[in-house]
Amino acid sequence: MHSSLSNTRISGLAVSTGSVVRDFRADGLAAGDDPAQLERVAKAIGLRERRVAAPGVTTLDLCEDAARRLLEEMAVDPTSIDALIFVTQTPDYLQPNNSSLLQARLGLCKSVAAFDITQGCSGWIYGLHQAALLCSHGAARVLVCTGDTLSRQTDPKDAATHPIFGDAGSATLVEKTGSESAMHFIFGTDGSGAPAIMVPTGGARQPVAVGAPGACLQMDGAEVFNFALREVPPAVAGVLKLAGWTPSTTDRLVLHQANRFMVASLARKCGFPDEKCPMDLGEQFGNQSSASIPAALVHACGSTLQEQTLKIAACGYGVGLSWGAAAFTVGPVVVPPMLPFPRH
Amino acid sequence: MPRNDVKNLAALCADVDALAGANHETVLTSLPNWDSLAVLLTISHFEHTHAVGITATQLRACHTVRDLLDHLPR
Repeated sequence: MHSSLSNTRISGLAVSTGSVVRDFRADGLAAGDDPAQLERVAKAIGLRERRVAAPGVTTLDLCEDAARRLLEEMAVDPTSIDALIFVTQTPDYLQPNNSSLLQARLGLCKSVAAFDITQGCSGWIYGLHQAALLCSHGAARVLVCTGDTLSRQTDPKDAATHPIFGDAGSATLVEKTGSESAMHFIFGTDGSGAPAIMVPTGGARQPVAVGAPGACLQMDGAEVFNFALREVPPAVAGVLKLAGWTPSTTDRLVLHQANRFMVASLARKCGFPDEKCPMDLGEQFGNQSSASIPAALVHACGSTLQEQTLKIAACGYGVGLSWGAAAFTVGPVVVPPMLPFPRH
Repeated sequence: MPRNDVKNLAALCADVDALAGANHETVLTSLPNWDSLAVLLTISHFEHTHAVGITATQLRACHTVRDLLDHLPR
C-alpha cells in the first residue's frame, strides 16, 4: 500500500531503554561458549552489549517513562492529546490493551481514542502512519508509543536469538500542522514467511499453561536476511520516489537496527553511503524491535534534529513478515536524551 | 577448470571465513565453522559481489562448495 499524507509533522520523540547491561562476550563465556567463536560472531554481526529491562519492568513502563519525559520537555498538557497508539507484541496483559492502561497512567482525557497495534520491527512506521492519518482527519495531537521486551521471549540456550535482543520503549508526538509538510509511506506483508520469526505457543492456536516452557521466540536468521534483502530496498526506493527524493538528496536512511551486519548490507543495496545510515545502535543496545527506528533517530541524529531539519527515509522490517517505509521531513524538534529506566 | 570458477571460488573464500582453504569438492558440513554465520556471509557475498539472490533453502541444499558456485550465472 502506498500513502501520502500532508499537514502533519513529528514534533518530538523520546526513547527509554532497559537498565540492565548485558555483555555479549561475558554472557557467552559464562554459558561455556568457545571464545574464538564468540569473537568471530561479535565482529561479523556487530554484537557487543545490549540493554534489557530490569525484573518487573515491562514495555508499558518503558513507554510511560519515554512519554512522560517527552511531554514534560515539550511542556505539552497530556489532556491536549487526542489519540494514543501503542505498538507492541509484549503487552502487560492479554486483556486489556496497553493503550488503555497508558491513558490512565499519563492522565489523558477520557475522550481520547486509544488502541494497540500488534506489530514488531515494522511497528513504528505503522504507528506513525496511523497517527498521521488521524491528524489529517481531525486530530490535533497523537502520541505513538512503540516498544518491546523481547529479551524475555528468547531461550537462553538459543544462540541465534538470545544474545540479540534489547528492550526499549519510545514515544513520538505527531501533530497537525498548517504547513504543507507531507509524510509518505509504503507497506508490505508476506504472511507465507511467518515461520521465519515466530513464538509458536502461548496464543489461541497452541495455548500453554502459565509458566510452561516453550513460548520462546524462534528465528531463522538466514530466511530473515533473505526477506530483508528482497523487500527493503524496493520499499525504500518506492518511498523515495513518492517523496521525489533520491539517496543523494536524503539526509539519513534510518533502518530497523536488527544488527550492524544486516543494516550495513541493506544500506549498501539501497544505494546509501554508510555515513548516512545509523548502524551501531544494535551493538550498544541490542535489537529493540519497534523502538529501534526512533532510538536510532534519537541516538544518531538527536542533537542535529533539535536544531535542523532533516529529510529522513526510514524502513522497518521483521515479524509477519511485515515491512513499512516512510519518508518525511523532521526538525527542529524536541528530542530528550535516550535514558535507561529505571534510573539509579 | 573455467577461469571464472577459480576466480569465484577465491572471492567466496575471501568473504566467508568458514571457507578459508576450501576447494570445489569440499563438503560444507565438514568445515568446522560452517554455521549460521557462514550462511549469512555467503548470502551477503552472492548479493553484493554477484547481484545474485540465493535463498536460505537453496543454500542449505548445497552439499559441496561446487554446489554453491553452481548458483552463479556462467
